[in-house]
Amino acid sequence: MSADGSAGRAGTLEVNTISKNFGGLRVFNEVSFTLAPGELMGVIGPNGAGKTTLINVISGKLAPSAGSIKFDGRDIGGLPFHTLSRLGLVRSFQQTNTFKSATLRENLARAIRFSGSPPSIWGKLDGMLRQFDLAPRLDVPSDKLPYGLQKMLGLVLAYATSPRVLLLDEPAAGLERRERQQVDAFVDAARADHGCAVLIVEHDMDLIKRLCPRILVLDAGRILAEGAPAEVLARPDVIAAYMGIVEGEEAA
Amino acid sequence: MSRLSQFSSEIAAIAIIGLSFLIPFITDSPFAYSTHNLIAVAVTAAFSVYIMLRMDLMTFAVPAFMAVGGYAAAIAGLKFGIVDSFFLTALSFVAPAVVALPLGILLLRLRGIYFVLVTFLLTQILQLLIFETPDLTGGTNGLVGMPATTIFGMELADNKSVLLLAIGVAFAAAIITALVSGYLRREFAAIEENEVLAQSLGLVVWRYKVIGFVVAAGLAGMAGFSLVNMLLTAHPTSFSPQSSVNYIAYTIIGGRGSMLGPVVGATLLVWMSSIFSTHGEFSEGLYGLLIMVVVLAARGGIVGTVAALWRRLTRNLGSETSAAPIVGTVKEVAHER
Repeated sequence: MSADGSAGRAGTLEVNTISKNFGGLRVFNEVSFTLAPGELMGVIGPNGAGKTTLINVISGKLAPSAGSIKFDGRDIGGLPFHTLSRLGLVRSFQQTNTFKSATLRENLARAIRFSGSPPSIWGKLDGMLRQFDLAPRLDVPSDKLPYGLQKMLGLVLAYATSPRVLLLDEPAAGLERRERQQVDAFVDAARADHGCAVLIVEHDMDLIKRLCPRILVLDAGRILAEGAPAEVLARPDVIAAYMGIVEGEEAA
Repeated sequence: MSRLSQFSSEIAAIAIIGLSFLIPFITDSPFAYSTHNLIAVAVTAAFSVYIMLRMDLMTFAVPAFMAVGGYAAAIAGLKFGIVDSFFLTALSFVAPAVVALPLGILLLRLRGIYFVLVTFLLTQILQLLIFETPDLTGGTNGLVGMPATTIFGMELADNKSVLLLAIGVAFAAAIITALVSGYLRREFAAIEENEVLAQSLGLVVWRYKVIGFVVAAGLAGMAGFSLVNMLLTAHPTSFSPQSSVNYIAYTIIGGRGSMLGPVVGATLLVWMSSIFSTHGEFSEGLYGLLIMVVVLAARGGIVGTVAALWRRLTRNLGSETSAAPIVGTVKEVAHER
């Protein structure tokens, strides 16, 4: 998809030929794509393809080595993590990531305070917390929650910041099959409530196929394919790059 | 949880210091006066370490900022004849805070052990500066003969008034510490526990670290003024790099988790060193040993361990009846805000 039509539009994320090196190691090279407001896109690829680093660079945790990233038409490459979060580019983490000793309620209060979310967000959170079975545990320290709930809390914290673009790093990793449905529900709710765009890095092909009308395949740091899941996943080069992992997923 | 119980440790710390105003009126033993004066100085300095530990930052720079505050007050008194204790207390807070602002912006990019190392060097550098600027600081001789301070025009010259001033300074430091650590409770706790998550949610971490660093420097400066006023001398040996270990020891052994920790730690350890004053040179070894005990066996320090024991005891006594209600609605917090 070309960036021409949507250049500079409010809420559009434009990634232009960005690269990231760690010393001599090239993690990814000349990656470009555009994420329109409210759009949902999946990023897949074998382990080591550079997916998490891509999220780290877009969210500002790491600076790009080359290329430009624009949001709302403004160049945001290399801006600090917190600045991008304040602009509405908010990420989740692959591992569970909460304020461990703080209660669930306190975790949420911090997310709202730090992001400057309006207090009315508490009303929206109410339904989401019930849906994910977090509501009865509001006064429990977050590290006492089971793994799956901690993972969901990580997503809800990102939601509580009122994001405009959500960057989800393997939201379903480590979840049971039953719990993975909740990731679908979360993405739907986030888009419905905030109208935000969502970029999902994920290994769970079923989830990607269910949710994403468009996917991007990263392999060895470059874009191998881009398009609708059905046609992209049928391509021989994608199958070759992905073989082991696709089979592993089916068996799991 | 009610607002009040949330801040019980802060209130207790302030109340204890408030009660200590009575000490000069119930005894007139010079030994008790000097010990309590040292305790007041130690508590004030330990609050500086406490604020930094709230952000999971260890600092060896307390003596450096104590020196800035202490010398600022001594210079104001000796060279400019300013002796009003309110003014000198404020000056001893502001001078090191102003020094700390650019330093903090520069140094707080460093993390963990690198930050610790640089704070230690700061104290060394400041010692050198004092030695090298004899016109201003008296060099190795220090500034001797600090005039008696005044309050509302009354002179605070005798031991009793000097002790009362030291307790007053500690009391003011406690209120500043409680206000800052209470108002920025969420920010400090988030930085202490998970800086990356806090940033990803939009917290400007470095800004709060700089605020904490500047306030901690100011508190140390107040302790420096208190010490100079007690000794009537500003001398480099009062602010030795080695003494930074003591202030860290007071806070960690007392308990870094609550404001009561530095109060309890400083009181007990200074009192113990005074009792064993004939062997004062061993105190740092003793503190080192106690820090090891705390780190290995009782992470919460004295206050944390006692509180944990108390919770266990009360839970066993009323475990069936006092089960906390688990279900609450999100709205409660919305109101609390």
